[in-house]
Amino acid sequence: MGRKKKKQLKPWCWYCNRDFDDEKILIQHQKAKHFKCHICHKKLYTGPGLAIHCMQVHKETIDAVPNAIPGRTDIELEIYGMEGIPEKDMDERRRLLEQKTQESQKKKQQDDSDEYDDDDSTASTSFQPQPVQPQQGYIPPMAQPGLPPVPGAPGMPPGIPPLMPGVPPLMPGMPPVMPGMPPGMMPMGGMMPPGPGIPPLMPGMPPGMPPPVPRPGMPPMTQAQAVTAPGILNRPPAPAAAVPTPQPPVTKPLFPSAGQAQAAVQGPVGTDFKPLNSTPATTTEPPKPTFPAYTQSTASTTSTTNSTAAKPAASITSKPATLTTTSATSKLIHPDEDISLEERRAQLPKYQRNLPRPGQAPMGNPPVGPIGGMMPPQPGIPPQQQGMRPPLPPHGQYGGHHQGMPGYLPGAMPPYGQGPPMVPPYQGGPPRPPMGMRPPVMSQGGRY
Amino acid sequence: MSLFGTTSGFGTGGTSMFGSTATDNHNPMKDIEVTSSPDDSIGCLSFSPPTLPGNFLIAGSWANDVRCWEVQDNGQTIPKAQQMHTGPVLDVCWSDDGSKVFTASCDKTAKMWDLNSNQAIQIAQHDAPVKTVHWIKAPNYSCVMTGSWDKTLKFWDTRSPSPMMTLQLPERCYCADVVYPMAAVATAERGLIVYQLENQPSEFRRIESPLKHQHRCVAIFKDKQNKPTGFALGSIEGRVAIHYINPPNPAKDNFTFKCHRSNGTNTSAPQDIYAVNGIAFHPVHGTLATVGSDGRFSFWDKDARTKLKTSEQLDQPISACCFNHNGNIFAYASSYDWSKGHEFYNPQKKNYIFLRNAAEELKPRNKK
Repeated sequence: MGRKKKKQLKPWCWYCNRDFDDEKILIQHQKAKHFKCHICHKKLYTGPGLAIHCMQVHKETIDAVPNAIPGRTDIELEIYGMEGIPEKDMDERRRLLEQKTQESQKKKQQDDSDEYDDDDSTASTSFQPQPVQPQQGYIPPMAQPGLPPVPGAPGMPPGIPPLMPGVPPLMPGMPPVMPGMPPGMMPMGGMMPPGPGIPPLMPGMPPGMPPPVPRPGMPPMTQAQAVTAPGILNRPPAPAAAVPTPQPPVTKPLFPSAGQAQAAVQGPVGTDFKPLNSTPATTTEPPKPTFPAYTQSTASTTSTTNSTAAKPAASITSKPATLTTTSATSKLIHPDEDISLEERRAQLPKYQRNLPRPGQAPMGNPPVGPIGGMMPPQPGIPPQQQGMRPPLPPHGQYGGHHQGMPGYLPGAMPPYGQGPPMVPPYQGGPPRPPMGMRPPVMSQGGRY
Repeated sequence: MSLFGTTSGFGTGGTSMFGSTATDNHNPMKDIEVTSSPDDSIGCLSFSPPTLPGNFLIAGSWANDVRCWEVQDNGQTIPKAQQMHTGPVLDVCWSDDGSKVFTASCDKTAKMWDLNSNQAIQIAQHDAPVKTVHWIKAPNYSCVMTGSWDKTLKFWDTRSPSPMMTLQLPERCYCADVVYPMAAVATAERGLIVYQLENQPSEFRRIESPLKHQHRCVAIFKDKQNKPTGFALGSIEGRVAIHYINPPNPAKDNFTFKCHRSNGTNTSAPQDIYAVNGIAFHPVHGTLATVGSDGRFSFWDKDARTKLKTSEQLDQPISACCFNHNGNIFAYASSYDWSKGHEFYNPQKKNYIFLRNAAEELKPRNKK
């Protein structure tokens, strides 16, 4: 999205430091979050306007702008959109942004590689969002080895690493990392910006890269956009999308288009998604990584408000009600542990009492001999599950892989010889049954 | 401020069909109460498909049972049948022809319940509790998809003891939804994967989560041509993300919104943030309902990006919800979801399933 120079970069809200694409959206945000009367919900135009309204209509005084970060709560300052912002705050902001772009570029490259869980494969490094995109734009012309235009993602992975280095070459001091990438790449108009950030990514890239060059205002991909092949949204995460399908581009109509049977379903591939890389698919925005996830949130919620989805403005909805109370502390009503409520509950002995004994064993395959209870395959497992509070004697259950699961796995509740105390009424099913279970499926089954 | 855990004497309330005792909060919305509700928390609800005449509701509970009621047009609910597992039932679903019900349980199995003969047989086996079960009906195959805490997604032909296919998940499966040809699965550690089911199920894309907290529920929505086009994902942090698979402008089209939070006083009382326990889309209007640990349900219009309604607060969390096939009935279950841990569990407290007329309240708002 372009407009770098507009009002010193993209419009941002002085009260809460959030970024917006458009001044109109910024104003809507301010009216809804900062200039809204908490008593009657009327939206005013400015801070002082709100103060006056509250005084005249409700006979109440307010001394701080709602939902504002500390230090920016001055109710007397007349700010409307980007107008009225004190010069020194503007400068501070510009400085901050510059710093951020540098750091975030480096970081992003790294974070992204960890973040992305793209369909296995894909060396994530090769798909760093930023660097990748710009390059793609150029690659095509450049006979890059293995680098078909972005849309061709599949081929990319192998080729990418070499690319990346491509960018660096631009940077002074960048060794010829890119085979075949003519140093002339420099002129990649604006591609460079990513440059500084790339080095860290590149495996083997000499750390000596002069990162400093703060390409001014490198708003991620903005420039790149022009360059990148169409269809590649510049969303940083986008490349991730591309990543997923290293496989041969099978065209799969996929959902939107419906229809078209394909053969060879191979993984992801995309139908219209086809380009895979096209569309970002991956959600919105970069931020995220850093989130400790499942913390008790205090304040994390507030930060979440900012980082959610790309567009803060978009976080919608709820016109009325659920007004987030300023940035006050908030509390997640959820147990601290990082497991789901059901997992937690299932660990209780009460809910494990009737679980089938290990005899069932994992598999579903052929009627396993072991039925009838015996600790089949994994005798030694106990230790795994341990650790879970539940007193359950974990012995023998299978598979423990789940952290946190331990509880039920053990199911082996020996106490009840066989799970089914309660099952009897419904036959057919009892997992355990002699006969290796499944078979019953066949026989009765029929019905299905 | 929450009412959970208060042992209100009404907990053991009786059999009134229309729980309208004005004094307690177990049914502030005065909705129809389903008779013979399960004895422990209800984890899942599902209405019969349009292929069956009438409406039948299935509920799975932590008492290891799966119950079926017939819901008549006058609101009367008639218990019809029940099946048991040997562990709490975590998910239920219907086959497309309405003759079978599939149930997934902590006993690591999934069963197929033939309603005509009232027999249930095991059709799936995992190494850990089975959290989700869905029926897939494709032009060239049909199968049952089960997601488990053993980090696998398995597909079963109900006639065979071995799975037709097993796909590895990055983490434990927490929730899933299927609307052919798309399936969305959300896992622990904020994993999110979309599968395409044409020809045979295969992973389509792993998506970086739009939410920052644990995923709890997911529901696929369709576009105007009735094709699945995206999904709504709810987390434990009172927030739902609307995510399109292939939007023209993801930055603008995808968004998240906050929900199920206590208002807190305008200024500084700390806000309580509750988990979103379930999301369901109205089959006709395309609007959605969310239910949360705060004991409220809300209706939203994702296209107009507005809230349509929020209910009064029930005295227990709402643990599950679903719409019937034509969208006239919205069912929601009021029972403890463990959001406040073991301490607030009251086994004596009655668990309810309420039915509400949903034809009017979920009409979309006109886009502003």
